Amino acid sequence: MPDWKKLVREHIASSALPAASREEVVSELAAHLEEAYEASLLQGLTEKSAVEFTLQEVDDWHALAARIQRARSEENPMNNRTRSLWLPAMANLLAAMSALMVMQKMGEQPRLVWVNTAGGQFAMAFYLPWLMTLPLFGAAGAYIARRTQGDTLACLAAGLSPGLTLIGLIALIAPWGLFIDGLSVYRLVMIAAGIFTWGVLPSIALLLGALPFLREPSNLACSET
Amino acid sequence: MTQRIRSKIARGSGELAILSLLVEQPLYGFEIAKQIGERTGGALKFTLASLYPLLYDMEKHGWVEGRWQANSAGRDRRYYRLTPGGRRQLAPLRAEWRSFFQALDSLAGVSHA
Repeated sequence: MPDWKKLVREHIASSALPAASREEVVSELAAHLEEAYEASLLQGLTEKSAVEFTLQEVDDWHALAARIQRARSEENPMNNRTRSLWLPAMANLLAAMSALMVMQKMGEQPRLVWVNTAGGQFAMAFYLPWLMTLPLFGAAGAYIARRTQGDTLACLAAGLSPGLTLIGLIALIAPWGLFIDGLSVYRLVMIAAGIFTWGVLPSIALLLGALPFLREPSNLACSET
Repeated sequence: MTQRIRSKIARGSGELAILSLLVEQPLYGFEIAKQIGERTGGALKFTLASLYPLLYDMEKHGWVEGRWQANSAGRDRRYYRLTPGGRRQLAPLRAEWRSFFQALDSLAGVSHA
């Protein structure tokens, strides 16, 4: 059996594709030729005829290399995942956290709720005005993800990104706190309260805003924007 | 018919064929070509040279998304799946082709040929 990768690589060597992109194209085209060759053998062709038949898949390698280069090199540098998930998620996170910072700078005081446990007392801090703005950020994140052709999961993640990030941060930091200060019911309750105040509540608020944008577009008649 | 028009028709029909297949399930290049050939009784045929530039173009437009994964035989293949953008593209393309054939039919009676 011919070395299909080598053959494809030689034929599209002239294209000015970036190395990684070229290697991906080589692997994909070689895999296609390999399957075409095997299918020809299954149809009863001899090895030589199967190779000849397979090579008919491309009549002009030079033209193919040029068309592939055109199609791939004008590729948007951002892939779909970046465009429809990471960027909206980052933008949403930045906007929500900036809003919180601005409110704090403006002197907004959190509403404190004192919690008594067997190990002592601690305060849960609620920034109510901030919480009330979060549905807007959730909606904006999910909307941007939907506009950039994100699927439901991407829209959800982009909409909830500030809440998810805060939960992630607490999950990262809390074990270290427990490790340093020691495990106790008091500290576990405090961590749970922190997750509720800074993760769960904001996520619920964000979700309220994101909900309208989570539905997959079902109207196939609407045109591409 | 000029080469340009013929190429546009071929391209449009190819896009519609690929989107219609991928709306059912993700497939990789060879499977796409094979299924299109089988399901059109050989009337539509994709070679490697005609398929991949079109797939890459569709990927660039955000209609399909390619991802490497192992096929049933354990070989790595680049599977293409329809994106929400591709899904939205399908209906207008179908409508375009329907009107095209209706127009051609009223002119040349092709559906009764």
